[in-house]
Order: sequence, then C-alpha cells, then structure tokens
Amino acid sequence: MEITINILYFGMLAEITGLANETWLVKDGLTVGDLKQEIGDKYPLIREKKFKVAVNQQIGDDGTKISFQSEVALLPPFAGG
Amino acid sequence: MEKIHKPKKVFVQGPISPQFVADSIARHQSKVNIGAHAIFLGQIRADEKEEGFVTGIEYSAYEEMAEQAFHAIREDAFSKFDLTCMHIYHSLGLVPTGEISLFVFVSSAHRRAAFEASEYIVDEIKTKVPIFGKEMVGPVGEYIWKENK
Repeated sequence: MEITINILYFGMLAEITGLANETWLVKDGLTVGDLKQEIGDKYPLIREKKFKVAVNQQIGDDGTKISFQSEVALLPPFAGG
Repeated sequence: MEKIHKPKKVFVQGPISPQFVADSIARHQSKVNIGAHAIFLGQIRADEKEEGFVTGIEYSAYEEMAEQAFHAIREDAFSKFDLTCMHIYHSLGLVPTGEISLFVFVSSAHRRAAFEASEYIVDEIKTKVPIFGKEMVGPVGEYIWKENK
C-alpha cells in the first residue's frame, strides 16, 4: 500500500530542492532512514548536508516510522540565538 | 497546584528594539514579589569571513515546531527553577549587525534562580529550536548558512 506524506524543506535544503514543500507517495511503513535514501536519490546534493528529520514536529532517528499524512521536515543545523 | 502556562508568541518580525526591552521591564514594576530579573540579549556580531564582514542575519524557522519547542523549554525551566515569570522573544527576517535578535527575560524572588534559568534557556534555544540563519556577508548580497556550535 502506498501513502501520501508531506515533506517540508528548510534553509539550505530548500535551496537545493527549490521547494518549500512537496507531497510524496511512499510505501506504508517507510522509516526515516528509508526516506533519507529516497531523498538522496532524488536530490544527490542533500547527501552531503547535515540535517535532522522531524516527523510530526518531533525529531526522529533512522528507525522512526512514517505513517499516512505524516508531516516530515528536513531541518538543517539550527542557528537560533 | 501546578501552574499551567499558556503558549506565548515568541517570534517578532525584524530586530527587537531597546524600547521593547525597556517597556517589558517597566511592565514588571507592579509585580512586587520579584526581587531579581535576569535578561539575556543576543546581538548580531560583525564576524569577518573570507567574503567580507557579516552585515546581518536573516532568520527563518519551522514556526509550528519552534513554537512548540519554545513552549517545552518554558515548561522545563519553570519546573527546574523557582521563577515568577519568563518571556522569550526571537527575531524572524533580517536583523542587521549590532541589533538584537534574542531577548530572554526571567524573573524570580532571588538572583540565583534568575541567573541559572537564563543561561539554561539560552543553551536550550540554541540546540533545540528549529531556527535557521543566513549570515549576509559583504556588499553584494553573498551569504553563508549559520550553524550553532
């Protein structure tokens, strides 16, 4: 089964993709680690960047599962303060 | 009973003015259980880069997650330190060199809690809040993405 997810890009990552967000069709049960692979295939320049992935506004790790209508955000290094 | 703190608006567009800071202090003069305020102000530094001097930082954020992260930091600080009140403001958009981009204002009955809480809150903001910054460099619009150490 395939599900749609919404991916948000921030900072330098949005510059690489040329997009602030996009909707992807992915396999149900996809993990953050799997998604990073797919994103790296579509946008090879992202592989060289340091970033964290938030799923529904919580920082995840490679094992975090992504489910139907999840909001997934790619976050470059933080610079607040 | 545990006090419930409502999420507060943190982001302001552009620099935080010294007048805003002064007005915030003035608003606390009626709260006479306070004996100590600690204020931290983050100011944009003119770092020298290969391309020239930094002229300002343009901030952006994953705003919904950032507001939640600020709220969690506030709750955490209230539970760790004996505080009367706490205010956090952070800029979005362009903040020129020499201007203020972060204003953390904590108040307590005594100084120790205020000192310790302000340091804790600033450290947490730097590592946990998804805010991104473009350091504008030199005269022709070049920039470098900033990364907190």
